[in-house]
Amino acid sequence: MPKGLFLDVVDPWINWDWLSTHIPYVLAAVQEHVTLTIVAVALGLAISLPLGILAHRWGRLRLLILTVFGVFYTIPSIALFALLIPYTGLSGTTAEIPLIGYNVLVLVRNVLVGLDSVSPDVLDAADGMGYRPFARMIRIELPLALPAIFAGLRVATVSTIGIVTITAVIGLGGLGQLILRGLIESFHSPLVVATVLCILLAFFADLLIAGAQRFAVPWARPS
Amino acid sequence: MNLFQATWQWLTDPAHWQGIDGIPTRLVEQIHLSIESVAIGAVIALPIGIVLGHYGRFGNLAINISNVGRAVPSFAILVIAFQVFGLGDVPIILALTALAVPPMVTNSYVALREVDPDVKDAARGMGYRELAQLLRVELPLAVPLIMAGVRTSAVQVVATATLAALIAGGGLGRYIVDGLARSDNPRTLAGALLVAALALATELLLAGLQRALVPRGIRLLKTPAANRASTFKTA
Amino acid sequence: MTRFRGSVWLFGALGAAAIVIAACGGTPAPSTSTSKGTVTVAGFNFPESSVLAQLYGQELAHNGYTINYKVNLGTRKVVAPALQSGQIDLYPGYAASELEYFNNGAGEATPDAAATTAKLNTYLAKINAIALTPSAAFDGNAYAVTKATATKYNLKTLSDLTPIASQLVFGAGPECPTYKFCLPGLKSVYGLTFKQTLTLDTDGPATRAAFKNGSIQVGLVFSSDSDLNSLGLVVLQDDKHMIAADNVVPVVRQAVATAEVKTVLDKVDAGLTTADLVTMNGQVELLHQDPDAVAKAYLQQHNYFP
Repeated sequence: MPKGLFLDVVDPWINWDWLSTHIPYVLAAVQEHVTLTIVAVALGLAISLPLGILAHRWGRLRLLILTVFGVFYTIPSIALFALLIPYTGLSGTTAEIPLIGYNVLVLVRNVLVGLDSVSPDVLDAADGMGYRPFARMIRIELPLALPAIFAGLRVATVSTIGIVTITAVIGLGGLGQLILRGLIESFHSPLVVATVLCILLAFFADLLIAGAQRFAVPWARPS
Repeated sequence: MNLFQATWQWLTDPAHWQGIDGIPTRLVEQIHLSIESVAIGAVIALPIGIVLGHYGRFGNLAINISNVGRAVPSFAILVIAFQVFGLGDVPIILALTALAVPPMVTNSYVALREVDPDVKDAARGMGYRELAQLLRVELPLAVPLIMAGVRTSAVQVVATATLAALIAGGGLGRYIVDGLARSDNPRTLAGALLVAALALATELLLAGLQRALVPRGIRLLKTPAANRASTFKTA
Repeated sequence: MTRFRGSVWLFGALGAAAIVIAACGGTPAPSTSTSKGTVTVAGFNFPESSVLAQLYGQELAHNGYTINYKVNLGTRKVVAPALQSGQIDLYPGYAASELEYFNNGAGEATPDAAATTAKLNTYLAKINAIALTPSAAFDGNAYAVTKATATKYNLKTLSDLTPIASQLVFGAGPECPTYKFCLPGLKSVYGLTFKQTLTLDTDGPATRAAFKNGSIQVGLVFSSDSDLNSLGLVVLQDDKHMIAADNVVPVVRQAVATAEVKTVLDKVDAGLTTADLVTMNGQVELLHQDPDAVAKAYLQQHNYFP
């Protein structure tokens, strides 16, 4: 294993002593990380569902939403965190606003793809059976759009888990705090622990959502 | 003066267009980091994805590389690269290349797999041998999806390269990180807008390149899925 | 039937998420019923600040307060506004630098720690904050060169740099161009204009790496750094006294600065010396011990200043 550059003392890539004495610290970071992620994805979904449904109905709204959130998506997260500080401080809100904004783009796109993919024959049949528009949306179109929505949820969640690390620059960060600390103190262990845990977290979340999809949408296997 | 006016003033100040911290210098640094990472990434990823896709082997591996790749936090990769290799462009390019490879592997794998087996059969029937079949039949058909993968990687790398400033790197991220350190919001916003503009320009450029590379006959088929690169934000 | 279940799933998932957030997201109630309140302690983004934050925080915790740490928060330009807006309650400041921040670089800081702190408090009063009694422990900006550079140009003081500065590359952190005791001071007091200034980090790993690979010849370090010798660096003497009284002093919000809090913090500061800072920095920078472990050992050694 290559040694760090300026170390006279050997600094192993994971110092198990350090880890065993810092379990609460690491767990607290994981908890903060998970909370930030869940809030961002849940609120993103909560906003994207109605927005997506409306955008599906009105073509002009679709263009507007995709453009606005699309442009937002190209702005680096670290810049948005910095710019929001004067308004929302060094708080969870500052972290969540950009995270939610990014997720809205991903999820709205997927809601639209899902709704677009519903066959006109199905819609016709539903109309013929007497479904009114709202009921048709809730009972027919949305469920058929679920595979696409779940795919979007997986992408949004894994992406959010990565970007949450960057909120360390405004004093949050969850596992990002360990990364920042590893950088500033030239210390390997928190950095490696955080990286591994982030990857595991992402895998676990992806598995969870894919599993939920299998349950909720048995006719469409997750890819 | 509000933030937008102050940012406009910052962007139009001639002093900010000169010198080592000037916009042209930082822009060139960002572009340099991005192009090198995507190019090296493509040289590694495309052959792997294409060959795996052509033979239809190790499909799970290709998908899993992509999944692991997406799960790696880019901030962490950059810091690890810095701690192993020190200062300079090399660690940054290595980290960005690692991020660029997964989408290109997966997309090129899927692109080759999606080539209609009937077409491959017809080619074999016409007498094409393996390599010729790959190069002259399968690849042109696969170009849209492969290019979509390159586009995804490129836009992702351009955005993530901003994080290089956190490990004393250059590029447009320097404006954002310095702006945060000095609470100089016009500088931060200017940096953010420049990065966003660069990302958009990259997307448009590569979309144009994709259109140029796709054979006319395929273009007429209008495959909407490949026209829009799937995005994945890492920074 | 399955289709109906599908939609319900989506809304059910949102509801479950809401419950999870409510369960996990709330800050835990203070563990002891006798907690005297919560204090949020912040630190700048360099190891010594983390150590100082831990010293203050752990001493307060020992006296019954619940502490929230926000270390590695950023530069003064991020931390000070956070105190002003009440998001943090306390941070370990450096008297002269705090004064020159809050007076917009008016140049009122002097080498006298008490006078500097008194002046600082006239500004802090306007934002409902207060700086307590400054410690004897001092840590100010210092400018170092490699031993080789020092020998080559026969450098001992910062004034020695003036004739040759234009041949040298300088490295510091992003806040340096606007920080009184950094580039502006070097220019106005010593007339230094470097060939190039590289933005690295504030006395962090990037600056050290830049010295090592020769990309900079002069760099910003801190006077209480312990690894300078082992890195082959020499600090140039501040012969014209650009650096003022950067003694460690806690900056606290008035709302939190009760008589007891003040007493507790003052006790820590009274016992802290510059040598202590250097020792603790060494433990973190060279031996890779944790700031919180280092602080704990120090406090235990001093029996938590009874």
